[in-house]
Amino acid sequence: MTLLAATFYYMAAASVASALLAVTRKNPVHSMLWVLALFLHVAGIFLLLSAEFLAAVQVIVYAGAILVFYLFVVMLLDLPDEEARPRFGNHWPLAAAVGLCFPAVAWLARVETLAPFGAGLAPAATQKGAEGVAQGSLSAIGGALFGPFTLPFEMASLLLLAAIVGAVVLARRRAARS
Amino acid sequence: MIVPVGAVLALSAVLFGIGVFGFLARRNIILMLISVEVMLNAVNLSLAGFSRHLGELRGQILALFVIAVAAAEVGVGLGLVIALNRNRPGVSVADLTKLKW
Repeated sequence: MTLLAATFYYMAAASVASALLAVTRKNPVHSMLWVLALFLHVAGIFLLLSAEFLAAVQVIVYAGAILVFYLFVVMLLDLPDEEARPRFGNHWPLAAAVGLCFPAVAWLARVETLAPFGAGLAPAATQKGAEGVAQGSLSAIGGALFGPFTLPFEMASLLLLAAIVGAVVLARRRAARS
Repeated sequence: MIVPVGAVLALSAVLFGIGVFGFLARRNIILMLISVEVMLNAVNLSLAGFSRHLGELRGQILALFVIAVAAAEVGVGLGLVIALNRNRPGVSVADLTKLKW
């Protein structure tokens, strides 16, 4: 096993562990710190998949902006009795069963099962082809964003604008009616 | 190829399952939103894995859009949490029964 493969398996194990801890901790702040560990490990996996720009965006947007936003809201809400309440609803075994369905379906749909039916993953791109599109290079991504993906890009900016306006309207303190 | 695509997809499925479990089982609305983030990360992971596997950039572009939508979702979702909290302190979804008939 090469060093890079070992790194990948470490990242995978650490992200599964931190995701499990994130959804099971009682203290919301602890949960968020575990989710931060998950985001950083996923960014590492992006690096191994040669998606460097995606890794940078993951760290800046997820670990930087979104998580700080969550922490601010937890701080604003002031939840002193949160640790005393039950973590899970009474139906949590059912939720665990539903959650286990996804890995089970992925296991059933693995390539060896589908191969006899002529289905399965498309063959991997040849190394030469993968080099040809300059995987993960910023100029290639920028060219794609402003070339064939211009319309979705503009739609994303519109969506973000709508989200900003919506968040301000929702969280604004209403003026007293009387 | 350093990373086998099957391993990435399996990791993505496991993370998505953990996110689904957290969303369904937790009673704290902020932790439910965090579980949604875990699920979105799992999807991004599988998109990046396929992008690598097929030698195409489209998966990574799609993952970027997923991140943008996640940011929008967090903004609106936490705005809703703050608005709910103003009417009725607490973040437990079991207490939010105003709309129940």
